[in-house]
Amino acid sequence: MDTAIDIALKFAAITVAFVVVLLIVAYTVLAERRILGFIQGRLGPNRVGYGGMLQPFADLLKFILKEDIVPDKSTRFIYFLAPVIATMAALMTMIVYPFGPETRIPFTSISIPLVIARFDVSLLYVLGITSIGVYGIMLAGWSSNNKYSLMGGLRSSAQMISYELPLGLSLIGVIVLAGTLDLARIVELQSGWHGARWFIFFQPLGFVIYLIAAIAETNRIPFDLPEAETELVAGYHTEYSAMKFALFFLAEYISMFTISMLATTLFLGGWNVPFAEDIFGRGTFLFGLVSAIGFLVKIICFLFLYIWLRGTLPRFRFDQLMNFGWKILLPLALLNIFLTATLIVFFPNL
Amino acid sequence: MLALLFILFGAMAVGCALAVVAQRNPLYSAISLVGVFISLACLYVMLAAPFIAAVQVVVYAGAIMVLVVFVIMLLNVEHEEPRRGRLKFLVPVAVVLAAVLIAEVAFILVSVQEFRVNPAAGASNVGLTHSIGSKLFTEYLLPFEITSILLLMAIVGAMTLARRGGLLSSTTRVVPGAQQLPLTMVDPTAEPDDMTGVKTDTTDEAARLLGIEGLRDQSKRD
Repeated sequence: MDTAIDIALKFAAITVAFVVVLLIVAYTVLAERRILGFIQGRLGPNRVGYGGMLQPFADLLKFILKEDIVPDKSTRFIYFLAPVIATMAALMTMIVYPFGPETRIPFTSISIPLVIARFDVSLLYVLGITSIGVYGIMLAGWSSNNKYSLMGGLRSSAQMISYELPLGLSLIGVIVLAGTLDLARIVELQSGWHGARWFIFFQPLGFVIYLIAAIAETNRIPFDLPEAETELVAGYHTEYSAMKFALFFLAEYISMFTISMLATTLFLGGWNVPFAEDIFGRGTFLFGLVSAIGFLVKIICFLFLYIWLRGTLPRFRFDQLMNFGWKILLPLALLNIFLTATLIVFFPNL
Repeated sequence: MLALLFILFGAMAVGCALAVVAQRNPLYSAISLVGVFISLACLYVMLAAPFIAAVQVVVYAGAIMVLVVFVIMLLNVEHEEPRRGRLKFLVPVAVVLAAVLIAEVAFILVSVQEFRVNPAAGASNVGLTHSIGSKLFTEYLLPFEITSILLLMAIVGAMTLARRGGLLSSTTRVVPGAQQLPLTMVDPTAEPDDMTGVKTDTTDEAARLLGIEGLRDQSKRD
């Protein structure tokens, strides 16, 4: 009986997390359009609702109502499977991130951890699911039976394989510092110095490498070659329309969100807000609330950085992209591991 | 509960494995193989080995199979044609091998029945990252290092093979940007194994630097 309640609670928690994240993602799209408008000296969508606040829902309605066109010569099963894989892989990593500390529910004595699933290898789980996400884009490119789609799919898989290496290696510095692969434990380890002992201060190089590789992993500008519209029409999703296109669109923004979550968790102290514990006390409801809000604010800063970069930087050329990944980022990531390990051996108390 | 999950993932693994063999389209086979790896990872989780499960997904499903699918997409392999009559002598060998495999499985099933382990005693921390790491770098250091040398050899081998036949054909044009060119690329009349290099921005400049301008024009006129 207890296991049944447990499972029901987990499902409820997953639903709440997904809904919150999807809402934030929907408004990220709106924020992106408004901020890009600001950067480019125009208004952006501001007609639907107050300041365009209902624009995401109008867009969603439009996606649902549009005609769903399936190319005649496509490989039907894989063509339908690809957007599902992309969205599912983007959503699945959400369950292992700690949204906040252990928090007491008000007026009761029950304490619940603000993390859905906590296990020994949650960081590896995130990396594994992220690497499954490549299939969505690759298979979409292949099954559409369109040369632009195929080129986009090939480019994206080459790019994601190349940048997964520096991404994984840049995390090893943090893992060596923390001595664990459990994300919740890694966040707890950063709560020293009144909640400001963030790993970014020990891993500045690792953080920069992670940031660059993460942008490449999410196929965002300046690494958005898989959908470079000047050469590939729309890349891997050229033949996708209506709701299936919306799923790819959603997957891209959810991956932006989760990759920002990982950066926050590993480098920016996760839910640790400086001095929050001194003011509210450990385990109280207010402390939990402030921490969770702090976590979301840090993520939103990352999302703003993504949008800012999109308004600022031009696109890489493909050979530049490959040279940069293999000849600069990868050696730097290896150097970072070497430096971290050496420093830990010589200053074990740091 | 556990038995139900085991049956679910076991059936998934077997079904996907059958699909790998049965599918005519190589891409479908590759995707089925990904399914096998993921169901195996789920089984590892149930066996209290989360590290192995995660590594299974990261390495096999996330890296190796992506490369396999990449190659299938690059070559654009069409439906595999059944070739009857070829390699027919292998059929009896296959039968023998299958018999051996079934015998092995039967033997293991019987021997497992013989000594039953108490499940509570078996639930140790063997599968956790910490214990695997410390064992790998102390007790099993030599096998670990030998494995890494094996992987290094594979990388070196792949690079050697790629370099040998990787020269561009004489009709290729140079992409702008400083690069190293083999002599055969600018001068079609050169010996194919002449590896003299030249750093240049355009094909014409390369020809001038190598002093084969006349030769190149001649071959163009032919």
